[in-house]
Order: sequence, then structure tokens, then C-alpha cells
Amino acid sequence: MMRYEVKKVFSRTSSKIAVLVLFLVMGVTCFFALDISYVDEEGNTQKGLDAVSKLKAAQKEWAGELDEEKISQVIAENRRIRTSPEALAQDITQNEIAYSRGQGIKEIRELLNCAYAKGFREYDYYRADSLTEEMAADFYKNRTALLKEWLEGEAKDQFSDKEKQYLIERYESLKTPFYYDYMAGWVQLFEFAPTIVMISMLILCYLVSGVFSNEFAWKSDAVFFSSEYGRNRAVLAKIKAGLCIVTAVYFAIFFVYTGIMLLYLGADGWNLQVQSSMAGWKYFYHITNLKKYLVIGAGGYIGCLFLSFLSMFVSARTKSTVMAMIAPVMVLFLPSFVGNIKSPVVNKILGLLPDQLLQAGNALNFFNLYSIGGKIVGEIPVIIVLYAVLTAALLPALYRTYQKAV
Amino acid sequence: MELKMSNLTKKFRDMTAVRNVSYTMTAGVYGLLGINGAGKTTLMRMLCTLLKPTGGSITWDGEDIFEMDGEYRKILGYLPQDFGYYPDFTVYDYLMYIASIKGVRPAAARQQIKLLLDQVGMKKAAKRKMKKLSGGMKRRVGIAQAMLGDPKILILDEPTAGLDPNERIRFRNLISELAGERLVLFSTHIVSDIEYIANEILLMQGGEIKASGTAEELLSAMPEEVWSLEVEKKEIERYMRNYKVSNVKTIPGGAVLRLISSEKPSSRAVREEATLEDLFLDYFGERAGENDDEI
Ligand SMILES: Nc1ncnc2c1ncn2[C@@H]1O[C@H](COP(=O)(O)OP(=O)(O)O)[C@@H](O)[C@H]1O
Ligand SMILES: [Mg+2]
Repeated sequence: MMRYEVKKVFSRTSSKIAVLVLFLVMGVTCFFALDISYVDEEGNTQKGLDAVSKLKAAQKEWAGELDEEKISQVIAENRRIRTSPEALAQDITQNEIAYSRGQGIKEIRELLNCAYAKGFREYDYYRADSLTEEMAADFYKNRTALLKEWLEGEAKDQFSDKEKQYLIERYESLKTPFYYDYMAGWVQLFEFAPTIVMISMLILCYLVSGVFSNEFAWKSDAVFFSSEYGRNRAVLAKIKAGLCIVTAVYFAIFFVYTGIMLLYLGADGWNLQVQSSMAGWKYFYHITNLKKYLVIGAGGYIGCLFLSFLSMFVSARTKSTVMAMIAPVMVLFLPSFVGNIKSPVVNKILGLLPDQLLQAGNALNFFNLYSIGGKIVGEIPVIIVLYAVLTAALLPALYRTYQKAV
Repeated sequence: MELKMSNLTKKFRDMTAVRNVSYTMTAGVYGLLGINGAGKTTLMRMLCTLLKPTGGSITWDGEDIFEMDGEYRKILGYLPQDFGYYPDFTVYDYLMYIASIKGVRPAAARQQIKLLLDQVGMKKAAKRKMKKLSGGMKRRVGIAQAMLGDPKILILDEPTAGLDPNERIRFRNLISELAGERLVLFSTHIVSDIEYIANEILLMQGGEIKASGTAEELLSAMPEEVWSLEVEKKEIERYMRNYKVSNVKTIPGGAVLRLISSEKPSSRAVREEATLEDLFLDYFGERAGENDDEI
């Protein structure tokens, strides 16, 4: 029964095209995500796998614990490169040669920009150039200091005392020094993951939006509902088919994307703290790249599942495929209707909307805190549990709605 | 084996589509005859549990069909008037799917489908996509799907509508052939369909069953009589206005009218044997639909 429900979806040419589009968009995304370049000693820009392996080799030279000594070495090396005649020359090729020498410490240099920034929310690309070796001792301390300064100043009214304490405790309890290694595979994978998850969600909602309503559009509802299982098992088969389609298509896309990215760029750095790259510098979650990957994958899956089932629910309720396609998109655009009202309460509510799941990697960076049973919890665990529960609650509602349809 | 409707009523807001219908059916072929809007489809949809009655009840061997739920639908086969299907399914896949939601196991389904495709003459088209079939072919698949699971009750809503005369004859034969020991209820607005296959005729009008019985019973109980009368051209108009005229045959200088009237319309009028056509006109005040009563 379920097999035929899946077939109803995929026998349509438009569904086949939709899946094709999904894979094409993924391909294009990979194309951009894999656009890594390496500048050689002569200042020429190289692309492709060769560039990747050269960049990897350059950064691997700096792999290891980011302790005070290493930081001061990086500060010195950076200054040496940035004050070299090539860097100061007016000639672009000379500048490129200087850049070429800095590729090994490029990522660590970014961390310096973050650690020694003027403020918690500030970023200055040239900050690293004005550091001295003596400042290396402050590298980790500054991370917490900037947070404290921000919490007492600009963000004073955004958090309760308990929340402030919680954030500071998280920052202070991060194990340092952390390890640095080449990890472009993960960085690039994370950066483009929201695109992949978002397009998957749109295509998935398109695919399943007709599962319930099309019986009416095709006028096959009379035969369906007058059959023995028309008001029980056949409805269940539709729900199962929806679940299968979402699961299979989502993970097919997500794993193919992961495979392409990591095969090309390497999976090095999978067990490193996320804080050892600029994107994760401010996280208060203590996780590794692999865990972040799992959070993105699981969050995206639950988000897609919830929105597809919402679409199917609307499909069953309104008998309209168009409404079923519009509903999840409306939910996604909810935050943009709220506009610029920035208040802690609004932020906390926005933090619970399903779009957060589709970009779980970015959401890890949001300081939305919730108090559950006296304990403070970050946004990510809350939304993952919340939407898993909501999706589970949607299933019986969907079943009952369609079972009673006339 | 008894399907019983008691005071069955269906109201749509302010209009009553089916009014107080009480009727009991057992094995046999029942023809539901009525013009468009008489309430045939509404009645049938209630019999298929697709519409909840607003009044009265339907029972199968004494049990309410809505309470029987799946148990009742298990013995039901239904061809809707507006037969919808999955356009991109092949005929075979379509039938396999319907078999599955009718609780027919795959092995049994394969056998039944083979047999049915043969019976409805669709064996060669089994691998064709549903959307590529002609109207008549779709209807055959429709009959085949209704027959899956060997239902005790077969409900066919206007199975012959829109078919060409030859196809219609083939369909009538098919329905008779498939009837067997079943309870078959089919609706039509074409008198000749009824004449050929129904054992029992139900005349439906304005949501009510106005009369029922075999053709002979109905004809002998017909309240008015049928006359034929030769009239001059200038008189035709007057008769048409004052009498129910079931047929006009032109002859040189005038016409032979077939009139329905309780009293002799003219001294020259001759009594005729009533047909179902006349009966239809008498009840519904209009001629039977689709002028194919000659086939
Ligand atoms: N869902 C509905 N809502 C409102 N009126 C309806 C509905 N279905 C049928 N009707 C009305 O009920 C009457 C009987 O319709 P129907 O049962 O389709 O007649 P038939 O099948 O004999 O042509 C018609 O006047 C029709 O307009
Ligand atoms: Mg009808």
C-alpha cells in the first residue's frame, strides 16, 4: 500500500523534475563551496584539488595546541609577513606573494582578530597586525573578558543575571588551549549547509503537499474512502509514505553533499573544538566539528520533517495542494514579518521558530537562552526536542483529520 | 443479504437532495432511473458511506453500515459517476493499488486482476497509463476496480453515461454478466439501460422514490394511458401544449402523436401498449435523456 503511495508521488513528472532540481542545486552549491584557491610563491592563484592539498599542507605545518607560545609565534610570523617588502609593495603580484606566505596561519590570524577585537561584537580584519608577542598570554582570557564587558554594557538588559552567569560559566569552562588543524572541509560544509537544508525542505514540501489533497483533485477520493481500508490503513500508508519520502530524500541529499565536500576537502579536524575556527569562536556550546555536523543534520531533518508534515496536515485539512505548499513557506517567513522589534522576549520567541532548525549551524551562534525547570538551556536542544514532539503530535492529528474527510 | 434504507434523508443546507427514502434490496439488479438532479448520486454516496445521512438509516443485515465501518466497505464495490484515478499509474498498478486498499492480498489480487481485465476487455491495455485511456476504457477499468475483492454489493453510478451506442450495449452485457449473485444498484437517466438489465426499477424524482417494481408491474400500475392519434399539421401545436407527448412521427399533411392521458384525447385516438419510455415521460414530464432509445 505504502509503496503505491510513494509511487503516486514519484510517477508525476513534476516530482521527478523537483528531485532533479534538488540535486542540481546541490551540485551548484558544491561548486561554490569547493571554490578553494591557493596562491603559490610566485603569486599565482591556483584552483582545484591541487590547491586544496597545498593549502592543507601549509596549514598542517601550524597544526597543534594553540598555546601561548604558538600564539606568539603566529603573531610574530604574521607581523613578519605583513611588514615584508612584498606586502608593502604597490605591485599586486608582490602583495600576492606576501599573502602566499600567510596561508598557513590564515585561520589562526582570524582567531586573533576575534580574540583581540575592540568589543564582543566587533571585528577588525587588521587587528592581528598590531599585536605584540607579549599579548599572546591574553588570547583565551580575552574571549571571556569581551563577553563579560558586553554583558555588562551593550547587552545589559538582554539577559537576566542568571543567564549572564550561565554564559560566563560556559565561556570559562571551555577547555584551553585547544588544538588547531586544517579543517576547511568542515568549515565549507557548515557554511553552505543551510542552503542545502533549505532547498531540501522546499522540494520536500512540494513533493508531499499533494499526498492527501490530490485524492480530491484527481477525484479518486470516492473510491479511496469507500474501500475497506480507506479510513484507516490506507490513511496510515499515506503518513508512512510521507515519512519515507522526507527521510530518504533528505538524507540522500545531505549525505551526498557531505560526501562530496569531505572527499574533496578532507575530513581533517573532525574532532576539534568548534571554537578553533572563526565561525565557532563565540559558541557557548562545547562541541566538536563532528557534533556540530550531527546537530546540523539532525536539526535540518527534524525541521524538514515538521514542515513537511505541516504541509501534509494543511493538505488533508484544506484539500488544497496550493495551500499545503504555501503553509510551510509562510511559517518560514514569520520572522521577517516581526521585522525590527528587538526585545529579549521577541528574540526568545523567534529562536523557537522552525527556520532555526534549518540553519542549526548558525543558530548555535545565537545567545537565546531558555529556563527549563530552573536550569538554563541553549536554543538548540530546546528546538530539537520541541519540534520532535510537535511533529509526533501532528501525526495523530493528521490521521484523524483525513480519516474523517468527506 | 439485505440492504435496507429507512426514512433516508439528506439535506444540503436548505435543499433536500434525498427525502424519506425507504426501500429494501436483496440480491439482484436494481436500476435507479431519474433525471439529472433527482438525487441518485446523493443516495448512492450515502450507500457507500461517503455521505452521512441527515435523517434515517441504512442497515446491512440489520446492522448500521456506518457502525460496521470497514466491515461494510469490505463487501462494497463502487463506481462513482465522476470516476477519478491516478493519471500516471498504469492500469495494472492502479488495480493493484485499489486491491491493496480493499484488503485483497497481492497473490489473490494478481489473479483477480487478470480475470477482470479479460472480462472487461482490457487485457492488452494493462500496461498503458490511465491518463492515456479513452473514456470508455477508463470506465471499464472503473468497473474492474469496483469488482475487486468480489463485493456482495456493487454500486454503479451512471456506468453508461457518455458512451457511444455500441459501447453502451457492451456495457449492459458486462453488467449483466458480472451481476451474478450480487446486489447490483446502478443509476441511469436512460430508459433503455433499465429495460435490458434491471430486474427491479426504482423511479426517483425530487429526492423521492416515486415508484418501484419490475417493468411489468410499473407499466400495469401506470396511472395514465397511452394513445396514438393522427392529427393535421395545424393541430400539432395544440396537442403538444395540452398533453404529454412521448413521440411525434410526421406523415404527409400531419403527424402521428403518441399521447399520455387518463382520458381519451379524441374519438379517433387508439389505445396503445405503454412502454418504459412512456412511463418515464409520465413521471418526469420530459423525455428520457440522450436520444438513443432506439438502440
Ligand atoms: N454537496 C452538495 N451540496 C449541495 N447540494 C448538492 C450537493 N450534492 C448534490 N447536491 C444537490 O442535490 C441534488 C441532487 O443531486 P444528485 O444526487 O447529484 O442528483 P443526480 O445524481 O440524480 O443527478 C441536486 O440538486 C444537487 O444540486
Ligand atoms: Mg448523478
